[in-house]
Amino acid sequence: MIPSAMASSTETALESLHHIKSTEPPEWLVPKQELSQAVRAASKLLFSSLKPYCPKSPFDQLLTEGFDVEQIWQQIDLQSQPLLSSLRREVKKFEKHPEEISKLKDGGVGGGEKKKKVLEQIETDNVVNDDEDDDDMDMDEDDDDEEEEDEEGEEEEKERGTEEESENEGEEKGGIEDKFLKIKELQEYLEEDEAREFGLKKKKTKAESKKEEEDTEEEGDDDDEEDENEGSEDDDDEAEEEEDELGLFDGNDEEDEDDLENARYEDFFSRKKNKSSKEKAKSRDMLEEDSGSDDEQDVDKRKDGPSKHEKELDKLRSKIEEMEKANLDPKVWTMRGEVTAAQRQKNSALEVDLDFEHNVRPAPVITEEVTASLEDLIKTRISEGLFDDVQKARTSSSKAPREIKELDESKSKKALAEVYEEEFVQKTDPASALLTFSDELKKEASMLFKKLCLKLDALSHFHFTPKPVVEDMSIQTNVPALAMEEIAPMAVSDAAMLAPEEVFSGKGDIKEEAELTKAERKRRRANKKRKFKAEAAKRMGKKA
Amino acid sequence: MSTEAPATMEIETVPSEPKPESNPLPPKPKFEPLKAHEMSDGRVQFRKVSVPPHRYSPLKKYWMDIYTPVYEQMKIDIRMNLKARKVELKTRQDTPDISNLQKCADFVQAFMLGFDVPDAIALLRLDELYVESFEIKDVKTLRGEHLSRAIGRLSGKGGKTKFAIENATKTRIVIADTKIHILGSFANIKIARDSLCSLILGSPAGKVYSKLRQVSARLAERF
Repeated sequence: MIPSAMASSTETALESLHHIKSTEPPEWLVPKQELSQAVRAASKLLFSSLKPYCPKSPFDQLLTEGFDVEQIWQQIDLQSQPLLSSLRREVKKFEKHPEEISKLKDGGVGGGEKKKKVLEQIETDNVVNDDEDDDDMDMDEDDDDEEEEDEEGEEEEKERGTEEESENEGEEKGGIEDKFLKIKELQEYLEEDEAREFGLKKKKTKAESKKEEEDTEEEGDDDDEEDENEGSEDDDDEAEEEEDELGLFDGNDEEDEDDLENARYEDFFSRKKNKSSKEKAKSRDMLEEDSGSDDEQDVDKRKDGPSKHEKELDKLRSKIEEMEKANLDPKVWTMRGEVTAAQRQKNSALEVDLDFEHNVRPAPVITEEVTASLEDLIKTRISEGLFDDVQKARTSSSKAPREIKELDESKSKKALAEVYEEEFVQKTDPASALLTFSDELKKEASMLFKKLCLKLDALSHFHFTPKPVVEDMSIQTNVPALAMEEIAPMAVSDAAMLAPEEVFSGKGDIKEEAELTKAERKRRRANKKRKFKAEAAKRMGKKA
Repeated sequence: MSTEAPATMEIETVPSEPKPESNPLPPKPKFEPLKAHEMSDGRVQFRKVSVPPHRYSPLKKYWMDIYTPVYEQMKIDIRMNLKARKVELKTRQDTPDISNLQKCADFVQAFMLGFDVPDAIALLRLDELYVESFEIKDVKTLRGEHLSRAIGRLSGKGGKTKFAIENATKTRIVIADTKIHILGSFANIKIARDSLCSLILGSPAGKVYSKLRQVSARLAERF
């Protein structure tokens, strides 16, 4: 690029910048070509002016012709991001090593002057438009209808914001002075208060104290700022940090007004975390400073001091201590082996989730489905007639009872010859045998036939009356009645024939061995002995 | 008839000569031709059966019962030799078979042993009947009371055991002091003998009975 061209372009850019600044807010609502052109030029200027501070930027200048809003914004972003981070680094460095600030002061004076020049240039233009800018900022932030303009506006504002917050601070410095309290009065009051609190340092001369305060202030500033920064990290914008830091920058030039610059509303009247009076005390410290509280500050420094690594180490240590303690102490009852009720606290087992095997099958939950299934089963079984009845095992009486030949124990009436004769005849002529056997066989036959007839009658007649039984002494056996009256059982009954009292063979009150009292047991034994003796005597008598 | 024919042919010529002399015999039976072998010897055959003293009176009592079947059916001459105390048997001319003589002799012998006449007659009627005798001491040596008890066991109360055995086995048993005689067919004698032996050896009557029952049932089934 030709420098002359550059210079002319800068002039035009500046012009456009001014033009933009001068426009009334309502004009931004409607998209205008000239406005957009002006904005583009202005942003180009700003971009190029910031260029020397960020070496890594890929763009030499902001390319606006034919580029989209988004693209322009991306370019600006590309430049500003590393710039911001570098600035932050610088500030942190100054925090840690305040002596460098003084170095920078000298060197920075030049640089600061340079910068200041630039800033003042814009400042003078912008003092009047401070409010406007604020308004613009607000408005632009709120305004979503017009995309292009809004974006541009936002870009610009943000672009400005980075640069101009420093300006703002300067303005606000003046603002505080103007609007808020009289700083001098505040200072006096705080000194008094501090003296009251600490009771010492009031005696120092103002100048000396001021100087010390300044020194300590700076430290205090650092501390406080650090505190504040720490405390307000969630709230915080980089902006605020930057303000402070840049304020610090400025404060280097104007030492006395450091504290005043840094005194803000938030310092006194809280931030969410720092509402304690302690914080107020701190802020007081910040403003007046108590040189005697070097220790405090040192302590503060140390308190604030522990680095992340140290913190981690502390945590580890505490953990280790805990674990060692746990190992040395007697174990909790749940970790011990078999624990009876006596070895643990009352009702402590209720709190622990115990797991043990239940050997009992849980009772079946009777639901509708279960009952329905059971009923279905019952119905099917009834319809099929499939009852699991116990079948009586019948003793097989299929075999006819073998005819037992009775041994005749009397002298045989037939002579042996006759016996053989009969035998012979039987063998040779069976017919003639019948004749000889007639009486006996006849009798037998008639008997059999009668029995048969009886049975058949019983089966065939409804009005069967059994033959009158000739009652002679019959032995009643304890047999199921069904077995005796087997012919045509009118009613099935398995009641035994004999009544219990007939079955029972014994007399009196029967007692088991276990039920007897001692006296009864003795009596029984005595009876037994008596019987035995009687029998023995009898036997002896018999023998003799 | 055909079998007899050749024998009779020979015999027919001979028999006319010897005739029984003394006893007034009933009219001469019309015998069939006599057996040759009896006459062919030309000699008269004898059997003599001694009479024990305790059978004297029974012999006298039952003489006719003995005599009649012997003389009539068996055609054997029988006489009692009182002096010698023997019963003598002799064949006659019309004795059909020489075995008759033997049968008669056995019959008389059986009577002498103690069997009843009707039982003994079976010997005459059936060929295959025998008489077996043995002593208790053959089975087991018993002395004194044991012997008596054994005899008692054998007979049973009122003789019921003996009768039981007799009826079951179709035999006749005579227990004469220490001697036991069994009359019957061979198999039956065996069974009876086994029962008696078991009784002698000491088994109770019930056991013998049960065995008898089985055996008799088997015997009955056979026929």
